[in-house]
Amino acid sequence: MTSRHNSTLPSRSAGAALLSGLGFSLLLGLSPSAHALDAVSVQLDWLPAGDKAFVYAGVAEGFYRDAGLEVTIRPGRGSADAVTQLAAGNADVGTAGIGSLMQAAAEGGVPVKAVMSIYSKPPDAIFTVEGSGITDLESAVGKRLAMPTFSSSNALWPAVLERNGIAPDSIPVINTDPSGMAPLLAQGRVDMTLNWVTKAPESESVLAQAGKQLQVLPLSDFGLEGYGFSLMASERTIEQRPEVLRRFVEASRRAIEFSSAHPDQAAAAVKAAVPEADLAVLEGELRNSLPLIDNEISARDGFGAFDPALLSTTWEWIADSMDFDRDALDPASLVDTRFLGAEQ
Amino acid sequence: MSALKRIATRYASLIAFIFVVLAWELGCDLFQVPAFVLPAPSAILTAFTTLSPSRWFEHTWATLEVALLGFAIATAIAVPLAITITRSKLVSRVVMPWLIVIQSTPIVAIAPIIVVTLGAGVLPRVVITTLISFFPIVISTATGLASVPAEFTELSRSLRASRNREYWQIRMPYALPHLFSALRVAITLAIVGAVVAEFVAAERGLGYLILYSTSSFRIAVAFAALVILVASSLVLYGLITQLQRRLFPWSEHRG
Repeated sequence: MTSRHNSTLPSRSAGAALLSGLGFSLLLGLSPSAHALDAVSVQLDWLPAGDKAFVYAGVAEGFYRDAGLEVTIRPGRGSADAVTQLAAGNADVGTAGIGSLMQAAAEGGVPVKAVMSIYSKPPDAIFTVEGSGITDLESAVGKRLAMPTFSSSNALWPAVLERNGIAPDSIPVINTDPSGMAPLLAQGRVDMTLNWVTKAPESESVLAQAGKQLQVLPLSDFGLEGYGFSLMASERTIEQRPEVLRRFVEASRRAIEFSSAHPDQAAAAVKAAVPEADLAVLEGELRNSLPLIDNEISARDGFGAFDPALLSTTWEWIADSMDFDRDALDPASLVDTRFLGAEQ
Repeated sequence: MSALKRIATRYASLIAFIFVVLAWELGCDLFQVPAFVLPAPSAILTAFTTLSPSRWFEHTWATLEVALLGFAIATAIAVPLAITITRSKLVSRVVMPWLIVIQSTPIVAIAPIIVVTLGAGVLPRVVITTLISFFPIVISTATGLASVPAEFTELSRSLRASRNREYWQIRMPYALPHLFSALRVAITLAIVGAVVAEFVAAERGLGYLILYSTSSFRIAVAFAALVILVASSLVLYGLITQLQRRLFPWSEHRG
């Protein structure tokens, strides 16, 4: 879990980021003192964590305020929950795995669109302990796997196995609450868990209590590819407040740049808003998410973009794992990248 | 010796509590139970210091606000409903099946739908709490109102007392012990309801803190939040008992 060379997200000082934020607000002719701020409610896909730090950093560092926005953050209970809340009009914008949006669209459609990609690589990974003998999917056959009852990773798992020529029923699966997975692994009741790489710091701390070390095997090493965590907006926001959304997307991009360059400050922003969080874990989660954000795909296509070919691949994985017809929808119809700035 | 026995009898529950906590602490120490499985009482005590008192108060008040609002609304709906049910057989026939439907529906299962329908804010949490806590109040109050000996109601009718007088001066006093028993059950259910609601959607509250802490494997903090929840339940339960004792002391040993 090392942070890669930052190619699309240049490292910047806090001062430079602040100046650029100021410049951006001047460009738009906006000043918080001169104009009332536009209220924007942001629905997170999960509880506050390091990988969602950019929203908190955007608020704490003033990126949203400088863009004339007053942002309120609502923690969520999963990507499906976030997409549903956006569809129901309970929030203006949100973060969620694009797989959940595709699934909802295939099940009948939702008035929600992805407006900016954040992870251009899938975050799903196998967590096991050092010395378990599990180094790849072949060596995982016959071992016990715990997976969260509600997670986008669950559906992908059988498809990943099948594409690697392994029968899904050759690996026994236990469905459990996410909070039970690391303890099960630490106690040796299961041999591996299915997680997001961003959750490694928490699992590490639990395993350390049992004198064990975490080993992470990203599913992208076994052929899984596609977009993941994305910024989304309700169609109502897109249609009725396009200018506000454009400013929100741009300010979010700046907040992500800032969080990538200053994970410690971004983690501190979450901690300030959520005192019960652990600062070291927040920073660890954020650092683990950086390779998913800044990689050869984002360097090639530009940060925030949705490449049509990779978007189709993402949908094919979802369609295959959820037994949808691949022709059931055009994945390009679920994204709207008009709000990305010229920089992408 | 008899003085010692008297003290032991008087403080039996406290002594038992201390004994359980000590055994728990020693057990965790002796068997090296990891904190992510069961934190020792000393670890739970330490967990209280991980958050500032003002943050603890913020979480506690968020839960109590929802629980008390839900409880108040449940009582305000349930008591008049119980009176209406006992006064009218038609209303009883129409309403009772719906009450049983609501009570039989697992609120945990429909809580996410309520949140999506009613949106952000405190409203969906209060509705969930109200739904969980109002049923025992309706049933117990209705049972109490109907339990008046027939000769009392016949006497009031023979003296040409109005139906309202019959209810306020004969039936309600009879129903009070039932009502207060139900209120004690309902206040603990209201706390459960608030926690269930916070599990589904909330930014603060003790239920939210438990969910957040367990998802980040800080089990001791979750247990500390549980301690406050249990203490809150006990205090509110005690307050209702005190209220009954102060306002209607005669009703305590009936029903």
